[in-house]
Amino acid sequence: MQTTVPKNRRGYLGALALILVIVGLYWGLIHAPPDAYQGNAQRIMYLHIPSILTAYLSFFLVFVGSCLYLWKREKRDDILAYSAAEIGVLFTALTIVEGSIWGKPTWGVWWTWDARLTLTAILLLIFVGYLMLRSLIEEESRAASAAAILGIIGFLDIPLIHMSVYWWRTLHQPPSILRPDKAPWDNIHPAMLTALAINFFAFVLLYFYLLSLRFRLGEMTEEIKTRRMDRGR
Amino acid sequence: MKLLRQTYLLLRKDLVLELRRRESLLTMFFFGTLLLFVFHFSFDLVPEKVTEMAPALLWLAFLFTGTLGLTQLFEAERTNHCLDALLLSPMDRGALFLAKTCFNIILMVAVEIVVVPLFWILFNLRSWEGVPLLLGVAFLGTIGFCVLGTLLSGVTLKARARELLLPLVLFPLMVPVILATIRCMEAILRNGNIGDAVPWLRLLLGFDVIFVTVGILIFDWAIDV
Amino acid sequence: MQLTVRDLSKAYGLRWALRDLNLDLVPGECVALLGPNGAGKTTLLKLLAGLIYPTRGDVRLNGAPFSRTSTELRSTIGFLTPGEHLYENLTARENLDFFTALYNKNHSSAAIVRALEEVELTDWSREYLSALSSGMKFRLSIAKWQLLEVGLLLLDEPYGVLDGSGINLMEAFLKSQCEKGNVVVIASHHISRVLQLCTRALILHQGKLTFDEPRRQPWDSFERAFADFLPHGGP
Repeated sequence: MQTTVPKNRRGYLGALALILVIVGLYWGLIHAPPDAYQGNAQRIMYLHIPSILTAYLSFFLVFVGSCLYLWKREKRDDILAYSAAEIGVLFTALTIVEGSIWGKPTWGVWWTWDARLTLTAILLLIFVGYLMLRSLIEEESRAASAAAILGIIGFLDIPLIHMSVYWWRTLHQPPSILRPDKAPWDNIHPAMLTALAINFFAFVLLYFYLLSLRFRLGEMTEEIKTRRMDRGR
Repeated sequence: MKLLRQTYLLLRKDLVLELRRRESLLTMFFFGTLLLFVFHFSFDLVPEKVTEMAPALLWLAFLFTGTLGLTQLFEAERTNHCLDALLLSPMDRGALFLAKTCFNIILMVAVEIVVVPLFWILFNLRSWEGVPLLLGVAFLGTIGFCVLGTLLSGVTLKARARELLLPLVLFPLMVPVILATIRCMEAILRNGNIGDAVPWLRLLLGFDVIFVTVGILIFDWAIDV
Repeated sequence: MQLTVRDLSKAYGLRWALRDLNLDLVPGECVALLGPNGAGKTTLLKLLAGLIYPTRGDVRLNGAPFSRTSTELRSTIGFLTPGEHLYENLTARENLDFFTALYNKNHSSAAIVRALEEVELTDWSREYLSALSSGMKFRLSIAKWQLLEVGLLLLDEPYGVLDGSGINLMEAFLKSQCEKGNVVVIASHHISRVLQLCTRALILHQGKLTFDEPRRQPWDSFERAFADFLPHGGP
């Protein structure tokens, strides 16, 4: 049976992801020093930042899948788009929970409408809207086209949403790593930066592993459907 | 300029039909007014607070009214499968997009022109100075809303629970327009002109331009299958 | 107008509505499309009109397939279903004006008035469509497609709404279309009438084309094919 990502390669990906996640967790939660101001609560950033970046990566993949589907009309691109959306929902929700966990000791509240959390919440809503649109349209190809359009519009809108929410909340959190005047490694301890980097790769690998599983599931569902239809000759 | 000619033809047809039955216009107008009353009771609006809250309240009223218009946007094409008649014809799909967008803009502007002065009167706002500029900004925001709204209205035509799905997918994408329009309106009410809200105005214009272009190009796929 | 259909298949969900259809139509043909309800006649007509797209296979008009930008192609196709494709709240005249403008046909006002005369709707030209009976609406559709000058005309169950004079009007219209070299395809249950009109018959059964022959007298093969799916005998 033809598969896009062969089974043993998926296995290696999964194993590597698992190893990196463990290493990253050790490095971030134990090895790196605690933050000067925030103490140990800051450690959640090692998970929070990679997972939000992965969420945005996810939406980029939804965009790519959507464009390809509208252009070539190949079922695989549609499967890529909705698989990326589903795993994206997972990582986005995770990001929000992590942000909330960090918020409690730091600000004393479970939720705040700062730029980052608000943006993540909006991203989650867009993902959810995408998946709902797919499920509420009866005919397969129509659902795929409709979702593709939403995927493209959503992706094009994200920079605008980003700008508007940041401007709105510009008095609050200036970005602590990506400052225009200093290089990233100047205002952060090297061990922390390493922890962040490891965790980033760990999350990306984990994401692709889960994506490949979901994608395979989508391919198999399509295969079953095609066989059932062919049998009804 | 086949695109413009067809857009004009379709828009004129929609306007003629609307003027005859006046379904959309009347429901939108009354709904917008009703919302003002609901706001009054919900927010206990004393004169000091009203000027502050006016932009947000107005824009909220327009958003919900506009959504009402969007769900009825393709009503004329529903009876007798007229949408099929249009898709069957040598009509440029971009023309249908532009015509429906303009139609919804016209309906919303008609409502806004009445509701804004009504708001001023009902809530005893003193100065009428910024009102024309306010309407101008509302117009730009309306364009952004109608462009995305028409696109998504077309996409959700055959979906179940359409009246619920359309706001669900539309509103998160409208965040830039909502923020930009309200910030501009606040600046106008505070200073009498745009002043320091110019970046927001630029964002709004950028949004409008980007999505009108995207809409014309992509509407083919939105309405066909 | 040449119509070529190759391996045409259309699925809705898990169900095949049409399977592996092959068809060639040439100018001047008048084709009867027959079959029981649910056989796929309307689906086939919509595929030929470009209203829906095939799951597999393709439809080509004069060698060109349908795509999103085939506006030239679409200006040559007509689709007639009783009660459809006309705006209820526009007058008869306004409907004709709108569609002729949409199809970019620069007919003079006199030409449109003449078209209304030919279908005996002159007195109703200023009435809203909703005031017309279904037979009159269909006659208006005939006037509309007359003005739009198409090369392929697809009709879906036209006989149901028409009275005697309406039927004569329609058949005269269709005959003139075929004489001009256009192609006409009629899906209908009124076997006897449609067979008199047509030069060729197709039978669709459970999504497959089970019969495809030009008309001749006597037509035993047709009687047999038709009796196959009609439990109570022939037409």
